[in-house]
Amino acid sequence: MSVPAVAALTKQLSQAQIDAYAEASGDHNPIHVDEAFARATELGGTIAHGMLVLAFISEMLTAAFGRAWLESGRLDVRFRAPARPGDTITARASAGKQIDDSLRYQVECVNQTGEVVISGTAQVRT
Amino acid sequence: MAFSLTDLAAGHVFQPTTFTITAAMARTYRDAVDDQQDAAYAAAGGAVPPVAVAALALGSLLREVTLPPGSLHASESLEFRGPVPEGAEVQCRARLAQRSVRAGWVVSVLETELFFDGRPAVTARATVLSPAEPSAPASGRLGGA
Repeated sequence: MSVPAVAALTKQLSQAQIDAYAEASGDHNPIHVDEAFARATELGGTIAHGMLVLAFISEMLTAAFGRAWLESGRLDVRFRAPARPGDTITARASAGKQIDDSLRYQVECVNQTGEVVISGTAQVRT
Repeated sequence: MAFSLTDLAAGHVFQPTTFTITAAMARTYRDAVDDQQDAAYAAAGGAVPPVAVAALALGSLLREVTLPPGSLHASESLEFRGPVPEGAEVQCRARLAQRSVRAGWVVSVLETELFFDGRPAVTARATVLSPAEPSAPASGRLGGA
């Protein structure tokens, strides 16, 4: 049985978007929204919330599987590198395979240089 | 008054909380993450993006506990059990499943169960790294908390 391909999704991050996410989520950690604080850390500047970038993967899978994703989706990911304002982030899924009643994919988000910022697996019942 | 996540012992059970995901909150979230799947959510009965439910639960938890500045999100596991519609009242149960200290970081594993209409809707397991010394600079190749 063939496993459906999942279309990649690309978005550009901005500090305005990170600020908006902080307001929407209630997570005002200064590493995301306080440039002076973030610049003084080894990260050297603000970074996006991990859950903001993870939302791109979930959106990609919502587009591919609709209600099935909302009812039975599973994500298991690691945050590998910071995503920064100005980054272009691509969410993509590969190596899909059928496991019992589910489809399982490797998923990741990469930035414009190809650096992996999130990687892991996603699973959805079919 | 909120206390710090790093002050808690493993096994700590948070006070159950309830929050309502209004249509305005859902719209604000979708705008913030630039989510374009309105048709899919409408087809699922006006559902909220499922990651939003987990994110808003974290926000709800942050009213009870603070994250030290510079905290980083190391990993996340999510399981979606059913669509959560706009306007839903969501019950949140959370516990600190693990706590350890490694290489200058407090490693906290938060397990959260979210219920809508008495049924499980989302389960989440988040690993968060916090500087053991609050003034210590954040470092490492990780995403944000």
